Amino acid sequence: MGLQGQAALVGAAQYKPEKYTSAPRMFHLEQVADLATQALADAGLSLADVDGLITSGPQFHEAGMFVPAMAGEYLGVRLNFAEVIDLGGASSVGMVWRAAAAIELGMCDTVVCVIPSRMAPTTPDDDHMLEVMRASRFGGHSTRFGAPEAEMDLPYGHMAQNTGYAMIAQRYAATYGWDAAALARICVDQRFNACHNPDAMFYGQPITVDDVLASRMVAEPLRMLEIVMPVAGGGAMVVTRADKAKSCRHRAVRVMGAGEHVHSKSPTYAADMLSTPIGPASRKAFAMAGLKPSDMHMAQIYDCYTITVLLTLEDAGFCAKGEGLKFLREHDFTFKGDFPMNTHGGQLSFGQTGSAGGMTQVIEAMQQIQGRAGERQLARHDLAYVSGTGGVMSEQGALILQGA
Amino acid sequence: MAWNKPLPRPTSISAPYWDGLKAHEVRLQQCEQGHWLFFPRTHCPVCGSRSLAWRQVSGEGKLYTFTVARVPTLPEFTDEMPQLLAVVELDEGAHINTTMVGVEPAALKIGQRVRPVFDERPGSLTLLRYTPADSGHPGVISGEPAVTEAVAVAAPQAPKRKISCKDLAAMRSLISEAFSGWSNQVEVSQQMIDQFAALSGDDYWIHTDPEKARRESPFGTTIAHGALVQVLASRLKMPMDFEIVDFVNIVNYGSDRLRFPSIVPAGCKIHGRYRIKAVEQLKSGVQVTMEIDIHVVGQDRPSVINDLVMLYM
Repeated sequence: MGLQGQAALVGAAQYKPEKYTSAPRMFHLEQVADLATQALADAGLSLADVDGLITSGPQFHEAGMFVPAMAGEYLGVRLNFAEVIDLGGASSVGMVWRAAAAIELGMCDTVVCVIPSRMAPTTPDDDHMLEVMRASRFGGHSTRFGAPEAEMDLPYGHMAQNTGYAMIAQRYAATYGWDAAALARICVDQRFNACHNPDAMFYGQPITVDDVLASRMVAEPLRMLEIVMPVAGGGAMVVTRADKAKSCRHRAVRVMGAGEHVHSKSPTYAADMLSTPIGPASRKAFAMAGLKPSDMHMAQIYDCYTITVLLTLEDAGFCAKGEGLKFLREHDFTFKGDFPMNTHGGQLSFGQTGSAGGMTQVIEAMQQIQGRAGERQLARHDLAYVSGTGGVMSEQGALILQGA
Repeated sequence: MAWNKPLPRPTSISAPYWDGLKAHEVRLQQCEQGHWLFFPRTHCPVCGSRSLAWRQVSGEGKLYTFTVARVPTLPEFTDEMPQLLAVVELDEGAHINTTMVGVEPAALKIGQRVRPVFDERPGSLTLLRYTPADSGHPGVISGEPAVTEAVAVAAPQAPKRKISCKDLAAMRSLISEAFSGWSNQVEVSQQMIDQFAALSGDDYWIHTDPEKARRESPFGTTIAHGALVQVLASRLKMPMDFEIVDFVNIVNYGSDRLRFPSIVPAGCKIHGRYRIKAVEQLKSGVQVTMEIDIHVVGQDRPSVINDLVMLYM
């Protein structure tokens, strides 16, 4: 039962995050081809090796359906496994385990997982562009007839992510207490990491706890610097059979455990919004790998907001429920610290590249394990915990990765 | 004035809920096993039963969680700033998204008892808002949405400094990187937009046809003409602690730069602020460049940036 570690991440590529206004515009098919070939080259493989493809579906520019077929055709690959994924920020984690499972089942040998996140060139009559503008206006909430969120959320102004995460944070504060400075430390330590990562959006811009606490209140208790900045980017990862991985360019990063849990669309309708899906997802991932949180050498934790990190640390089992603020006060989360977390800067400081944002965490874990993290390279770098979060902590996934 | 916020579209499944609110009743579905459910469905998400009945409940419950949104979630909600977004747990256990009314943000407390307030302002439908059980807020908000009168910003208490336009050094001392405080707020109503459309001849549907805009506009609602918002600067009283004197005439030279970086949806409130960017001595007088920025209340990005050039002669 479960993954046997017979599939491995072997290569990846991602665009350096950039502001949407200044980033190059590329068709999504063009980005798929560009990112996939770069990731394959990173692994020491070629298009001829690829027989599996997972792409993001809902926001794909050139088509709303038949996306893997169109992307596979453009790439020039024949597929034994073709898939789209629709788990928001949990998509990248979800891609890796799906690829590993398909490989272990014998469905395919080498899977490219790709999420294009730069904007595509558009024309004024482009119906997709109109859809994207409408959807972004309502923060991704569906406005379609019959959608519960269109009917029960939008009329009251409940939309997008900020206020949902803020309401979770507010309930956390009422239940377990609050320490704004402790949460700000997440931003500060991750910014320190980003200042050692030239690819990060906020490279060269260190911040202090006071900067975070002085930043604008957006939705109480969340402030501007506790909220990710959406930017253009995109990435691709290559997963292949463990035996094939041995001849790749870099150390194979085996997928030892995975878990996924979706408890609702809106946290409002969850039984308990403080008991997040990353709990069951992480328990499954650790059990599958036969490992526990304290075995990990690093944690790459999806960080759309500081509150996401706090709840993930608790629910994934790095500390007890309700002990998260104390844990934040007692640990150093920089790559030099005792609990290296989001060593690339996290999305808070690296930039959130749309639905590819979660891929930055998977790629950082892979590069750390492969010993390719440059000046932020960890000394102990064999085992990584990676989490992904979609929606408003309503759909989450976890991976346990281990160097071969 | 038309309700400019998103409205629910009841379905055949949810219609009894909305009918209930119209009758000032909160109605929930209950399955034969006794589970209460929200939002309306065709089955019970707890036990799967398809045998459901609509029942009237008190609508009372407690505040499960909330946030005070300091940045509007959509420009149309700026009249509520700060938005008091909340989740209420009904006594039956169901969770409902709503907003709190009749309460100061600082008085909100998770766990406090709350009671329903039926908001009839949208007209075609009644929305369910909440207020603390002990608040004095009426149980119904009725009628047309109140048109907010321009709220005067507290004028600076100190008497205005008089600055002679002939005193170049004093005039130059007005130059500032920092903006002034905010002006009063003015609501840009659909009626105002329609009047401007008639006057200017720009009656493009994106400004004037709320139904078509709801369906087809990328903004989901009608928006004000940039030029309209620009001229509304005249209605915005900027807080100024100085008065320029000693001139015979002021000539409005126009604008060095005019930009409309973001939209103003119909029904939004706007306010403005200014800064003096340049003061130059010309042969004919003193030329002052004043940047006026107009924002939708609560939005960081301005809707109008106008570098006004005036000549004091």
